[in-house]
Amino acid sequence: MTAVLKRLGGSVLVLWAAATAAYLALRLSPGDTVDTLVGDGPDTPQIRAAIIADLGLDKPAVVQYLTYLWRLLHGDLGRSYVLQRPVVDVIGGQVWPTVKLTLLASAFCVVIALGLAVLTAGRGRWLRGFVSGVELTVVSAPAFLIGILLLSLFSFRLGWFPVSGDRDAAALVLPALSLALPLGGLLSQVLREGLERALEEPFALTARARGLTSYAVVARHALRHALLPTVTLAGTLIGFMLSAAVVVERVFGRPGLGEVATEAVGNKDIPVVLAVVMLAAAVYVALSTLADLAYLLIDPRLRKEAAA
Amino acid sequence: MRRRLLATLAAATLLATGCSATEGSGTDAGAPIQGGSLTWAVETEPITFNPHQYAQAKARLLVWNSFEALLTHDDKGGYLPWLATAWTASPDGLAYTFTLRGGVTFHDGERFTAAAVKANLDQLLVPGYAPTVAATQLKNYAGADVVNDTTLVVRLKQPDAPILDFFSSPQGAQVSPKSFGSPDLKAGGPSVVGTGPFILDRYTKGQEVHYRKNPVYDWAPENAGHQGTAYLDEVTYRFLKESAVRVGALTSGQVDVVEGVPATEQELLAGDPELSFTKQLNSGTAYSYYFNQTHAPFDDERVRRAFRDAVDLDAVLNGVYRGTATRAWSIVSPASPFYDATLAKSYGNNPSGANALLDQAGWSQKDGDGFRTRDGKRLTVRIVLSAPFVRDRRDVLAQAVQAAVKQSAGIDLQVRIVDQGTANDAIAKGEFELFDNSRADTDAGAALSLILPKGAPINRHGYTTPELETLVAQGAATTDPAKRKEIYTRVQRILADNATLLPLYAPADQIAARRTVGGLRFEPTAGVPGSAYNVWVNR
Repeated sequence: MTAVLKRLGGSVLVLWAAATAAYLALRLSPGDTVDTLVGDGPDTPQIRAAIIADLGLDKPAVVQYLTYLWRLLHGDLGRSYVLQRPVVDVIGGQVWPTVKLTLLASAFCVVIALGLAVLTAGRGRWLRGFVSGVELTVVSAPAFLIGILLLSLFSFRLGWFPVSGDRDAAALVLPALSLALPLGGLLSQVLREGLERALEEPFALTARARGLTSYAVVARHALRHALLPTVTLAGTLIGFMLSAAVVVERVFGRPGLGEVATEAVGNKDIPVVLAVVMLAAAVYVALSTLADLAYLLIDPRLRKEAAA
Repeated sequence: MRRRLLATLAAATLLATGCSATEGSGTDAGAPIQGGSLTWAVETEPITFNPHQYAQAKARLLVWNSFEALLTHDDKGGYLPWLATAWTASPDGLAYTFTLRGGVTFHDGERFTAAAVKANLDQLLVPGYAPTVAATQLKNYAGADVVNDTTLVVRLKQPDAPILDFFSSPQGAQVSPKSFGSPDLKAGGPSVVGTGPFILDRYTKGQEVHYRKNPVYDWAPENAGHQGTAYLDEVTYRFLKESAVRVGALTSGQVDVVEGVPATEQELLAGDPELSFTKQLNSGTAYSYYFNQTHAPFDDERVRRAFRDAVDLDAVLNGVYRGTATRAWSIVSPASPFYDATLAKSYGNNPSGANALLDQAGWSQKDGDGFRTRDGKRLTVRIVLSAPFVRDRRDVLAQAVQAAVKQSAGIDLQVRIVDQGTANDAIAKGEFELFDNSRADTDAGAALSLILPKGAPINRHGYTTPELETLVAQGAATTDPAKRKEIYTRVQRILADNATLLPLYAPADQIAARRTVGGLRFEPTAGVPGSAYNVWVNR
């Protein structure tokens, strides 16, 4: 029980710290929200004063910050400075498309990582080398390039998938693949490393001696050992997808949080940025909790330690 | 493809001599057809769909689908009736009487009357609603009197000829007074409606906006191409920010029309027999580098002239835009009726002259890297580009100019591409020697009054004289196009003599479409893609 409370308290602290850090970063970075709103248009002291008063930016920074926290406690995320709509409306419609994208990308990621690692762990030198090389190439390629290449081949040339938007399942495949390829490549590298180390352990030899095929040893025994570091990394990487989604959403003309967040940061639209940061922080907290739970599932030794 | 390219070049040459500004290839769409739907990929997702809040030239093509103004621009710098059938100015210029069209309804069923126009004007003056409009376009507005349903008198504090430009601008578009109660008023969308030929019925942020035909529409202006309802039943604008993706979507038949085709993609399209391509130069000002005269080295006219002469701009533009860019010679775009064509070829590509001027100005030594120095200080000038506003390969252009001035005159041009906050900061602190700007205003005069007078928002170059101030004010107060042309010609020559700026190229908008699409056009005067009202598709 105390553990759960501790965890919860910790999560709230993380959210508060994330919001505060983002707020400070935006306040300290050069430029001014009003400059952004005025843009290259007519610019007079009256126009500026009107905008400042309209947004409540005339109060001291501390008061603005405390007001923000106070409203947050009441579940009010405020209004977007630039889009002139409640933040909940701005973000609300964008969450599900991004979640959908991330989920499918995660699924692809798991399939790619597991598939490649299990098939190539401890295999012949050239196959392993070739797959590993492809993985490294994909990991190092910018998401933008992967997206454009996938589009050129599967959408523009072959016409299998639509180019853009959040319509049906088919429209989700290419964006999810562009997200999943680099991460899947990375996870596969980590997983293969873990598998190969596990296969060198004495228990692997024992299992082989019992007559198990090499694939069965990998699937039933080595995999569990190799999964721990992979799950730790995966928890972080899925959170990382949110930032990778920025590029993918842009290339594929998809709605989503990434694009909203980039534009908000560029425009210094503080309420929107803070909401996205809080959301991302919440996702991280949830994912790390899930990862911790997954450890217990994967490794029985941890279960006993937790019970003790 | 080669032939198309030659045609483009030929048209560009015509443009340089100040002729018509549209060019392109034909379509096979045949006669107009009622019905059907169309998908149009656009580069920019508007920040707002409320025309009163309009601030993005790239979003203009959406505005006139669902909203309309009292007047519209013709192609000669004058106005045509739209929601107002007639207008007269009082002899003292302090009152404008508008006769409004009867039988017009907003999409929510409300009648369009003089009271609605007055409600729009009142709304624009609500504090915090549209501060820019209130402080500029309506700065001389004193009030409006509803005489009857179809007659409105607008009173002014002092004569203000550009008020007619306001009544034909997106900010002057008519919004249903019922919409003013919408919680999304400032953002716009399905709940903020106008009188236009299409009804905005669906908006998915980050993806697309969808319009359907307004079935009762019957009040198009006379230059709209036809009368009655729009041809299309439905039109979807998809937001595709990457030009390569837009073009790919068009060539693979997933969209029918794209807007914004950069030079690198134009050759790709020109070879495709199923596609048509048109482009038009924007009116307003040319994309230019302005010299900051408030401190060294550009406070010295000789250094400004040297920089202007050091660049072989034709070669630079050709390299960066592959012959698709139209060189500018003046602050005013060659597409504007006010453009002074005599400035063409009056300067430039004169490295020996540039070097002589720099020697005279004291920048006569050279350091180890080949840059000129004076008193041990290198001739360094900085330009700061704000990344969100970098389009049209302007970053590559800056680097090409950088290389050109280094090679021919030993000038060290430092190009920084930064976020908007940092750019604003650098400008506020005066940490720049050059700044870049182009304005897509329908009226070049409106742009000049933002750039030239002392203290004007874009007067970052610091050059101003009483004569220039008077001329800009006169240009804004005069209605006679011939008189205005005379005034603005004088302005352009003063700026050229002073070497206030290095004009680079005339910004253009491009439309590429499948040949089955007909009726695509550019808006007169503004030079930006028009609405979908007159577009049809022959499947």
